[in-house]
Amino acid sequence: MIRKLTLTAITAFALGLSGAVAQDDTTTDETTTEEPQADAAPAEETTTEEAPAEETVTEDATDEEPAATEEAATEEEAPAEETATEETATEEAPAEEEAVTEEATTEEAPAEEETASEEAASEEPAAEEGMASEEEHGDAAADEEHADAGGHGSAHIEDIAFSFEGPFGTYDQAQLQRGLKVYTEVCRACHGLQYVPFRTLTDLGYSEDEVRAFAAENFEVFDAELDDYRAALPRDNFPAVSGEGMGPDLSLMAKARAGFHGPAGTGLAQLFKGMGGAEYITAFLTGFTGEEREVAGQYLYENTAFDGGWVSMPPQLVDGLVEFDDEHANDAHHIAEDTAAFLMWTAEPKMMQRKHVGFVGVIMLIILATMLYLTNKKLWAPHKYGKDLDL
Amino acid sequence: MAGIPHDHYEPKSGFEKWTHKRLPIVSLIYDTLMIPTPKNLNWWWIWGIVLAFCLVLQIVTGVILVMHYTPHVDMAFASIEHIMRDVNGGFFLRYMHANGASLFFVAVYIHMFRGLFYGSYKAPREITWIIGMLIYLAMMATGFLGYVLPWGQMSFWGATVITGLFGAIPFIGEGIQTWLLGGPAVGNATLNRFFSLHYLLPFVIAALVIVHIWAFHTTGNNNPTGVEVRRGSKEEAKKDTLPFWPYFVIKDLFALVLVLLVFWAVVGFMPNYLGHPDNYIEANPLATPAHIVPEWYYLPFYAILRAFTADVWAVQLVSWVTGGIIDAKFFGVLAMFGAIFVMALAPWLDTSSVRSGKYRPAFKWWFRLLVIDFIVLMWVGARDTNFPHDWISLIGATYWFAYFLVILPLLGVFEKPETPPATIEEDFKHHYPDAPSAAE
Repeated sequence: MIRKLTLTAITAFALGLSGAVAQDDTTTDETTTEEPQADAAPAEETTTEEAPAEETVTEDATDEEPAATEEAATEEEAPAEETATEETATEEAPAEEEAVTEEATTEEAPAEEETASEEAASEEPAAEEGMASEEEHGDAAADEEHADAGGHGSAHIEDIAFSFEGPFGTYDQAQLQRGLKVYTEVCRACHGLQYVPFRTLTDLGYSEDEVRAFAAENFEVFDAELDDYRAALPRDNFPAVSGEGMGPDLSLMAKARAGFHGPAGTGLAQLFKGMGGAEYITAFLTGFTGEEREVAGQYLYENTAFDGGWVSMPPQLVDGLVEFDDEHANDAHHIAEDTAAFLMWTAEPKMMQRKHVGFVGVIMLIILATMLYLTNKKLWAPHKYGKDLDL
Repeated sequence: MAGIPHDHYEPKSGFEKWTHKRLPIVSLIYDTLMIPTPKNLNWWWIWGIVLAFCLVLQIVTGVILVMHYTPHVDMAFASIEHIMRDVNGGFFLRYMHANGASLFFVAVYIHMFRGLFYGSYKAPREITWIIGMLIYLAMMATGFLGYVLPWGQMSFWGATVITGLFGAIPFIGEGIQTWLLGGPAVGNATLNRFFSLHYLLPFVIAALVIVHIWAFHTTGNNNPTGVEVRRGSKEEAKKDTLPFWPYFVIKDLFALVLVLLVFWAVVGFMPNYLGHPDNYIEANPLATPAHIVPEWYYLPFYAILRAFTADVWAVQLVSWVTGGIIDAKFFGVLAMFGAIFVMALAPWLDTSSVRSGKYRPAFKWWFRLLVIDFIVLMWVGARDTNFPHDWISLIGATYWFAYFLVILPLLGVFEKPETPPATIEEDFKHHYPDAPSAAE
């Protein structure tokens, strides 16, 4: 009898698991074959002829200040950021209040980012200065940004109810598409997505042809065989962006930052709110106060989310910066949220499959646990109570 | 196997007899599975099975991960992303492996504290205890080596800090550190040897586990009363025990499935909760993270390491006595390894005549304080070293040593223990008054 029960339990578990796997396959199929969204190519014509970032940057650098100042700048970087910590603590102004100032000061930044590759030299002086500050910052600055922001900030990050949170959360394809558009039009000027293959954009609801067109129209990659750049193919990854003044790669940024901490170093907040990587990105993108300062020839911008308070990246998002094909609200905060959601997807593209396997596994284990509980109870009954149990 | 008398395997059919004469493997399996086990074992005794499962889980998932991983500083980080994005089920495999390490340590800590409370380390089980401590050390090493492999920021800087501990050894330290790293700093040579050792050590652990099981199958399991199984005759032994199969196998499997339920939910729904965000940033020797934190399971001992700074008078005294050979850094290293060493010495430090903490009224409280101390040290290990954290870790570290070196020896002298039940059968009947007198 016991043997029978145990056997049944094990068989049920095995059957269930194979069922789960099969189910998993079908769900994956569904997502890939799902009808393409009405707005086909998330591309913008203006960006199509963009030359690889590295080249243009080097050109710019030659126009600008000599290398000596660059070094000096990077050396001074660390103390500057350290001292800034106290300042942010006291100056934690709500983002909305500052929004007006932010708009005013950042108006030019995005435009400059877009056209930088083609004609940085012919830009108006103010914009040139902006570029210069980034260049002088160099790689080390970007790295410090990594180091400092790596998940122990003191700034308050607001919790956002993203669709992908919780055990049953899923990505909102329309939101990811909007985020992709923001990345393509804005972020990509300074940030790569080197671990994300174009082919995986089908996850966002695009057909394979749409993905092919998107990659070819918007991105060039270096082909070692051709020894030259060529239009990107679905099998390629998004290009890496490196060089002077360029920011860190964004592929994993949503997992490389934690928005929530504590209380008191226990990490319990993350248990309820999640890690908060996407929340951190949203807060960062909208956290510029409009304040800027020059330290040893480089510009730093005050940001309430950034650990240390001052960051080398200039403010980017302003209301209406990107027009969405689905006419979704495009104020700075919504754009930031969509970008954060997209970056969560680039960091964790298999999240939905993972939760599915997790869910099926939990159900199976509950069933198995119940059967083993009953088996165990019956098994021990004669020895504990001196009688057989009828189950 | 020696120990508690029980029925042995009898080859019946011709084939069984033929095999048994040549290789008594069936007999070995039978005797191992049918070992008489005290029937009063409570639920704290299930963690051994969980640990065995963890070892298998880590080896199986690890072997598959290795098929897709590249141990090279330029490719390691990207190969992890390849696993997460391109390998079939790779995302789940990797998360299981990473969180499997955490489950392994959860289980081993509960298993160890169970042993500390019920006096499982005491005679005649000292060797089981020592082997267990060796397994724990090997686990710590394996976990550390494995954490370096993804080549993230915490991997790199963790490796730098931990190997730096060996550099604190006087005279030969730097040589040892260079030898461990395969060069002056953490680099490709380090990654390669860490990868090799990370693959090797689990099999060393597996071998130690076999010896661990062999040892306690010889002495028999301890049990909540700490009273030994009567072994005058088979009949007598049967009153105190039930065979491991099926009684404890099914019980342990049930508990294992409950533990796995939680584990599966963590892997499925919050796989990065126990990790550090910095490890999703590729290693960069030029950028030091603001805050280097080891994995949670090292934190108590990391806190002990950091507790002994040059401001502590004991450190200053030792430094003065040794003419500066033992400085604050080396003192900290000695304290960290010493904290594990004194635990290994518990069988000889505990002077009490009663084995189980259940019947030791004063011990109970000191033990509970030790568990709290462990948790506090774990918490403070992740904090900065400013006030009051420096004092908390110093007090915590001091209590850890005091428990083993002072309290355990003195309790045996001053404590007046209660009388444990005469037999396991008596204890079992106390819980289950309807239990039949003679086990069939």
